[in-house]
Order: sequence, then C-alpha cells, then structure tokens
Amino acid sequence: MPATISGKRLGVLGGLALVLLGLVCTRTWFLQVVDAESLESRVAEVRSRTVSLLPERGRIFDTDGRVLADNERVLIATIDRSVVRKPAERAELFLRLSGALQTPVTELERRYQSKLYDPLQPLPLREGISEQTALFLRERSEDYPGVDVEEGWRREYPYAPIGAHVVGFMGAILERQLPYYKSLKYSPNERVGQYGVEQTYESVLRGKPGYVRYEVNALGQIIREIERVEPIPGNDVQLSIDLDYQQFVEQALETMLGLRRQVDAGTVKLENGDPDPQYPEVNFYKAPAGSALLMNYDTGEVIAMASYPNFDNRWFNAGISSTKFKQLFPDSKDPDQAIIVNRAVSGRYNLGSTFKPFTAFAALDSGQIADPLKYKYRDEGTYKLESIPNGRCQEGVKCVFKNAFCSATNTPCRYGPVTIEDALAVSSDTFFYKIGEQILTQRGYRPILEEEVRNFGFGAPTGIDLPFEYGGALPSKELKASLAEAGAIPKDEGRAYYVGDNVQFAIGQGLLAATPLQVGVSYSALANNGRVVTPHVANRILESGTPDGDAGFADLSKATVIEDRVRGKLIRNIEMPPEVHDPIVRGLTRVVNGPGVDWDFYHKATGEFLFKNYPKKSLPIAGKTGTAQGFKNLPWNDSSAFAAFSLDPTRPFTAVAYLEKSGYGSQAAAPVVKCVFSALAGVVDPQEVIPSNPLDINSTAVARSQRLVSPLCLSGYGGGVRD
Amino acid sequence: MALLEAVRRRPSLSGMGNIRSSMADPSRNIDWLLVFAVAALSTIGAFAVYSTTRPRLLSRGVDPYYLLQRQIIYIIAAAVVMALVMAVDYEWLRGRAEFLYGASLVALMLVLVAGAVRGGARLSFDLGIVSLQPAEFTKFSLLLLLAGYLSEEENDELPYHRFIMTLVIVGSSVGLVLLQPDLGSATVLLACTMGLLLVAGSKVRYIVSITSLAILSATVAAWSGVVRSYQFRRFEAFLNQNSTEEALKDVVLQVRFAKRAVATGGITGKGFLNGPLTNGAFIPVQSTDFIFSAIAEQFGLIGAGVTLSLFTLLMWRIWRIGRLSRTRLGQFIALGAFSMILWQTFQNIGMTLGIMPVSGLPLPFISYGGSHMVAFAAIVGLVQSVHMRRLR
Repeated sequence: MPATISGKRLGVLGGLALVLLGLVCTRTWFLQVVDAESLESRVAEVRSRTVSLLPERGRIFDTDGRVLADNERVLIATIDRSVVRKPAERAELFLRLSGALQTPVTELERRYQSKLYDPLQPLPLREGISEQTALFLRERSEDYPGVDVEEGWRREYPYAPIGAHVVGFMGAILERQLPYYKSLKYSPNERVGQYGVEQTYESVLRGKPGYVRYEVNALGQIIREIERVEPIPGNDVQLSIDLDYQQFVEQALETMLGLRRQVDAGTVKLENGDPDPQYPEVNFYKAPAGSALLMNYDTGEVIAMASYPNFDNRWFNAGISSTKFKQLFPDSKDPDQAIIVNRAVSGRYNLGSTFKPFTAFAALDSGQIADPLKYKYRDEGTYKLESIPNGRCQEGVKCVFKNAFCSATNTPCRYGPVTIEDALAVSSDTFFYKIGEQILTQRGYRPILEEEVRNFGFGAPTGIDLPFEYGGALPSKELKASLAEAGAIPKDEGRAYYVGDNVQFAIGQGLLAATPLQVGVSYSALANNGRVVTPHVANRILESGTPDGDAGFADLSKATVIEDRVRGKLIRNIEMPPEVHDPIVRGLTRVVNGPGVDWDFYHKATGEFLFKNYPKKSLPIAGKTGTAQGFKNLPWNDSSAFAAFSLDPTRPFTAVAYLEKSGYGSQAAAPVVKCVFSALAGVVDPQEVIPSNPLDINSTAVARSQRLVSPLCLSGYGGGVRD
Repeated sequence: MALLEAVRRRPSLSGMGNIRSSMADPSRNIDWLLVFAVAALSTIGAFAVYSTTRPRLLSRGVDPYYLLQRQIIYIIAAAVVMALVMAVDYEWLRGRAEFLYGASLVALMLVLVAGAVRGGARLSFDLGIVSLQPAEFTKFSLLLLLAGYLSEEENDELPYHRFIMTLVIVGSSVGLVLLQPDLGSATVLLACTMGLLLVAGSKVRYIVSITSLAILSATVAAWSGVVRSYQFRRFEAFLNQNSTEEALKDVVLQVRFAKRAVATGGITGKGFLNGPLTNGAFIPVQSTDFIFSAIAEQFGLIGAGVTLSLFTLLMWRIWRIGRLSRTRLGQFIALGAFSMILWQTFQNIGMTLGIMPVSGLPLPFISYGGSHMVAFAAIVGLVQSVHMRRLR
C-alpha cells in the first residue's frame, strides 16, 4: 500500500474549491448589493402590463337633441405582441385566426407591421367581432395563445349621410399626426376625429382615458390587478344645426344640381353667328358640385350647411378594404369630383355679382358716391376705362368692359341712367366697372376697395369651428406678386396692380376668391347693420352623459351646460349709417321683388321672375344673384351663386347657395335659396328626418341620394341675362 | 430488543464509554455535520421548489403542493439510498464497480434509443411515475470505478498506461452522455476524472492534454452537429450576454431574468413567495436549473449566504474525510466526490449569476428532481461509508 495522498495535492484541490466558491460568493454579493438598484426598476416594468381603458366619446346632438353621433359598445380581438414575434409562429397563428376573424392574413400582417398601433399595447386584430366569435376565441384560448377580446367603442352616425360634412368622421391617427397626438398622450391605437365637428371638438369629445395595470407572469397570464383608473367620458356637443333643415337644404341642393344637368347651356357661336365647330352644339351643364348654407345672422349659428357631393360618414368605420374605399372615394385630380371637401367652408370661388353689394358699400362708405339718391350713371352697355389713354388701348390693353348680353337684342344690355339701387336690382356691370376704376384712380391708387370689403370678413378665415377652412383672397399688389411667384399667373402680369384688376374685382371676378361661408357672414353683416359675427356649428358643450329622451333624441332639458357659445364672437362692428345701409338693402330687396328698370324695354330685376311665387309677405327677403365665369368664359362653365337674408329681424336668417357649373345665379342657386326661405316662411314643410337604414356594405354609392319630396319650390323662371 | 441494544451501546454520560463497543464501530463514526449539511440543503431545496412550482401549478389549476410532495418523496428515497450505501462496506462495493459501471453504460446506450425526448434531448427513461436519468447514476459508478482503478497504483506518480486507461473508461461514458446530448453531465464526469487524476499524481502535461482534448472534442462535436446547436447557442449567449439576436434571445433572457432575480433580492430578500420574478414564472426551468435565483430573490444575500455556507460545509467535510482516510481507495472516493459536487455546484450557481454558460445541471440536493437527488445521496453515502470505516 503506497503512502496516502500528499497534503500538497489535497491542498491544491481544496484551494481550487475555495477559489470557485469564492467566485460564486463574490458574484452573488456583487449582484445583490452593488447592482441591486439598477436592476430593480427594470423588473417592475417587466412584470406588469398596462391596458388602457378608452373613455366613451362625447355624443353630438343637433339643436333639438337628435343624436347625430352615438357610441356602441363593440368587441375587439387583440393579440399579445410577444406571442407572435417569431415570423413562423405568427404566420401559423394568423392563418388560423384569419378564418375565425374573417380577415385576410395579409390584413393581420399589415396591422402587425404597421407603426400606427401602440407597440406596448395588445395589437387590435379586428374591431366589432360578433359575440359568437368572441366566445369562440375565449373558449379556445389554448389554440389561440395571446389572443384576447377587449371591449371598445364604435362610433355610430344614426342619421348618416345627413350632415356628414359637418359632423365629420373619425379615423386612425395618420403617421404624420403621430407626434402631435403622442404629445397629447394618445395611444397610437386610438381613433381620432379626422373631419368636421369630430375633428374640431376632438379635445372636448375625447374624454380622458383610464388604465388598468395588471401583474403578469412570463407567460403573459394576468395574476392580479394592481391599479385601476377609470376613464372619464368625453363631453357632449350640441350643434346649432337643425337636422330637418339640414336634410331639406341637402335635398334642395342635390335636386337642383340634378335638374341643371338636364339643361342645355347653349351653343358657342362664332362672330358670324355660326356654331363654333370646336365645341359640341349641345352642352348640358355638368352641375357636379355645390354648397348651400343657412345661418342665423344675429348669432352666427349655422342651421344647415350642405355640400355636394355628399358622403356617408359610416364608411369610415365600416371596416371596408382599401380597394373598396378607393372605389367609393376615388383619388381624383379633378376638383369637381372631390368628395371630402366641405365646399361651404373650403370652396375657392369667384363670387360674381353677389359681391356687388360690398363694392356698393365701399363706394358709399368711402364717399366715392357722395349722395346715393342723386348719383346716377348712364349705362350704355359698355364701359371704357377713363384712366387709360386711347393710344394704350389701341396697343391691346383691355379698355372696354361690357355688360352681359340681352337675349332680346343680342347686344350688351343697356339700362340707361341707373342709381346704385337700380344697378343692384338689374346687376349692371358697367355701373360697378366705373366704381371699380374711379375708387382706385381718383383716390391716389390706394387699395380702398380691398380695405372696405376686408371688414366684411373677405380675405380672412371666418373662424368657424370646422376644419380646412379657406380664408379667401382679395386682389391686391401683394396677392398678384405672390401668385406670380407661385406660377399661377404670368410673371409680367404679377408685376403691378392695374386698373383692370380693380374693375374685375368690383364685380366679383378676377383674382377674388371667397367661400360661400364668407358670403354668408358678409351678407349677415349687411342684414344686421354691420355686425360681423363668427359663424359656428356648435352651440353648447354639455357635461358627459346627457340622458336619452325620445327615440333618436337626447333629453336636452336634463343636460348640464358647461359652455354656451350660441352667440358667436363679434369680430367687428362696421359703422353703417342708414344713408349707406338703406340704398343697398333696397337694391337687394328689388332684386327679389322688382321692379327692374325700363330703358329700351323693361329689364326685370334679376330675381324678380323667379321669386314671383315666393310668399314675400310672410317672410320678406333681400338677396343678390351672381354668375361666376368659368374656364374660357364658356357658358357651361358658369357657376351660379345666390345669397339672401331675411328683412324680418325676428327671423334673422341668411341663406347662401353656390352651384358649380350650373348656369346663371337666378337659374340654379337662387331656386335653392328660395326653397329654404319658403320653408322658413312656412309655405313648404321640410320633411321630418328619420334614422337611416344600416349602411349597405355592398353599395357602390358613396351616399344615398337625397331628393326633395316636392321640388315645386325650386320652380320659377330664372333670368335670361347673365346676372 | 434491537432498540434496547442500541440504547445500551450509547456512550455513558460519565465519559467512560461503553467498553463493549469498539471505537471502530462504523455506526459510531458517522460524520453528523455532513448529514446535517445534506439535510439542511434538502430542506432549503424543498422550500425553494415549492415557491417556484406553485405559480405554474396554480395557473394550470392544479394542487400547488403537487410537485413539493413529489420532491419530499424523492428526499425520503434519497435518505434511504444514502443509509443503504452507508451500511455497505465501500471495499465490497469497489469489487462490484466494474459491473455497476458496465450497467451504467448499457443504460446510457438504451436511453439513446428508448429514452423520452424532452427539449430535444434523450436524457431519461420515462417509467410513468418517475423518470430515471442514467447519467446521474453514471456519476456514482464512474466515481467508484475510477477511484478503485487509480488507487490500485502503488506508485505515487501516475504511470502513462493508467492515464490512458482512465481516458478510455471516462471516454466511454462521456461520449454516450454527449450523444444524449447532456453537455453539463459530461463536464461533471470530466471534473471528477480531473480531480482524481490530480490526486493520483498525474503529470501536469497529462492534465493539460486531457483538457485540450476535451475542448477539441467539444468543438468538433459542435461543428459536426453531434452536439445540437442549442447547446452551442448557450455558449454563444454566454459570450454575448446582452445580445439582441433572435436565436439567442431565449437563453439571454433566461439568464438576464435569473440575474435580475438574484439582484433584486438585495440583502434581506423579497420574502417567501413574494419574489416577483421567480414566483411569476418568468424564468424557464426555474425549479431545476435556476433554483438558486429563487433562493436569492426571496431570501436575499442572507439566504444565498446560508446556502453557500452549507455547500462549503458539505465540501469541507468531504475533503476532511479524504484527508482523514487511511486508505488510498477511501481518499480517492472522497476527493472524486468532492470534485464532482464542487464542479456541479459551481457550474449551476455560476450560470445563474451569468459567470458560466447555461447547461442543464441541477443544483445538488436543492433542485427539483429524483435522479440527481438519489445519485448525490448515494455518492455522499459512499463518502460516509469511507469515513465510518476509517478506523478499521
């Protein structure tokens, strides 16, 4: 037997053990004592999961409490992202889910890849699944790991498409909006108002989301609830819109456009009277689009605001495919085709003669016409600029401006000696050409016309509580320069502001651009002695949870008003003494009531014939027709405009209509306004609104068509003169 | 009667002793501190196993004590095995070492064809109620065989032929274990061999050559695919502990959570069943491979310190038995066991702390599982057997 093992070898082995054990001890101490704090916080986030609880969005009511935007509880299938991180597992699970959710795999994958969903929240796979599907998924949680069913809200528009342009719609947060909404602590999964009142009152309607924090284990299973903060529902908004009138105005607008499409715009003739061969002989009006609005001129409340083409705002949460969406809302460069444009607030229009009252005001207010009762201008049908020497005129500068042609003589109409009242009644262009020239040349070429009409709100946004408002443009040296810069007009034309520009400006043509809403606000100012009031569609902000009343209505008598904004903000008070105000209003009254002027033969006032069957005694009104010349001045490109206001201060209404490519002002726009005032006068009954049928997903129409039950109020003969 | 006999044999309080009982009586020479260390570690293990298996069982709607009950049965079985091995003379067992080792090799071969597949490896026989891992019993039989073989050498310096023979013996079982593949167990067998070679007076260059051979074969195995790629991934993950690579994610996260669990335990720990990470089922194979993180999180530095102290006590006692043993065989058995337990403990805790790569080794006496518990009980029993008979 050899000697036992030497102590040295035992020592080596023991030493080795001490080293290894020492290493372990040191490391444990290091982790637990030195590193402990830095790791502590990271653990907290690992073991909890926060699920946000979305608040119920505030509802939108019309002025009588009709629920225009409502919420429905829906079930949403979601998936825990960590379960599907591996592409192979994801593909497999999505394939199985696509049948259960009736959603293509590509759509599920698109959602997974999309940056628009919150990476820290379960990914919503499909909204609005049925109870059965929810039950199916919950029962088979082992087959569908990580899949959960959450409750959420779905926006409903019971009366769609009526008022869709005003109420608006909701949509996912767009990529470019993401930073903004993130700064407001939105989850990228949330849907936000993207149009209309839904957009402008987003902060009011949204409410405050709550959340629930769960403790979870590594398998993603919830162990317990740590913390719960209930969401605060959004406030309700009561609009100034009266849905009965809204429907009526939409019907009148759409019916009229439809009628105009069946009317021949006329034949373009050459100098010798033969038809111009480059155009067809028969040209129907296209009448593709238009808008109309009715407002209270005292308070600025918009009672109805229609824009055609209309759309059904339920399409935006119908869960349709992008192909279907493109089919309904085609991408088109043609502005006539644009659907999601509220033309009443976003339309960029020449106003034509509807602008003349403001030129008249400028002339009277600035003293250009010192005594409106005595001032007369002899209208010979043409006006030659006085400030341009004959030599220049022969060089090709446009010096002669004509009235519209009278069909009886086939020459520019001659109205003889006319006062400012007469000029408005028959819409004499030459009268205003002269003002347009002299207000510039006799006053040191100062932009007096521009400054005067700016007071009425032209050239600046009205500040209405709807998105995408166009502020308009007033012809000026600066505007021309900037347009030339942008390449919209030739460079050398943009160099200076000429007399010709001001002459065009005076009759609402040329570079003037305004929205129908601006027309409404400015006519309201004429009607109420110079008060320019901010128009608005929301009347009151109500505390959340306004109870339901009759079917389809909320009980406004039980609502708590947080903010009352019925009376719109007064922007400006234009001083309007009777000697300035009265001649204009008298002129506008004569537009509707007549008489016109008798020179050569009797020239009717532009609206006289049309309004013959209008109940003037029940609700007296004053208005003005307008025809905006379109591309190449072709007859079928004429756009029709009309604005009118009530002369009864107890019924303070202004109505405006603008129908694109539909003919003269008295032919298309004026009948729409006539219908509106006929209804206000009580001789026509607007149809009562009833909730719409559910949206037909297979429909190819972007909105159901709306026609007047009785289009009689549209009838009457519009003038034969371009007004 | 037997009880009376036992009572009579007890040393009297007068200090005179019972003259009828010899000092060399094996039953009087049990190392009770060693028994205490094993018992204490098993107790800590039982608590740790309960705390880590409970949430999983609860989430499955099963009795939360189910796995603890099984663990207690394993501990009792291990105690019985330990007592049996202690009762048997180790010299007698040495005589059957070749047979036992041969049986182990057969079992290792059988498990390759008939074993239950779990996690891509065939490690165990599934016998319904229990599953047996032959690799665990190989630890016992290899220790016995190698200790016996090397202790026969009368020369204090290990001759070359014995070194080669040692490699053949070890190579056969290590090769089979690697085929399972169970890299962890293979390293434990190698650690035992290295320790024995060291005490047997092997030349340094032998040890260097066997080490390089091991590294070489591991590399070859990895490349040739004998060792499955996940074993390789564990090594990669060890070298890049902050890797965000998809393929390494599971292992990296596993270790990261384990480290966090240890770290957040702090000095006093989060309290029993209050460890958010270990009781939240965040760490895979928490109850076996990563059990130390559960102890550290719930009982903090104090708990971890106590556990490590118990392991130190355990190893000190075994080392001491080796030093006190008067026979070469006894010494070799004790020091081989010492090397094995030392390595496995270091390897297991080391991977929890992120200083060793992940390998599926249980922590002796603590981790959930029957095979390793019984195997280590047998090994400690063998060492006790040496100690009990040292005065012979």
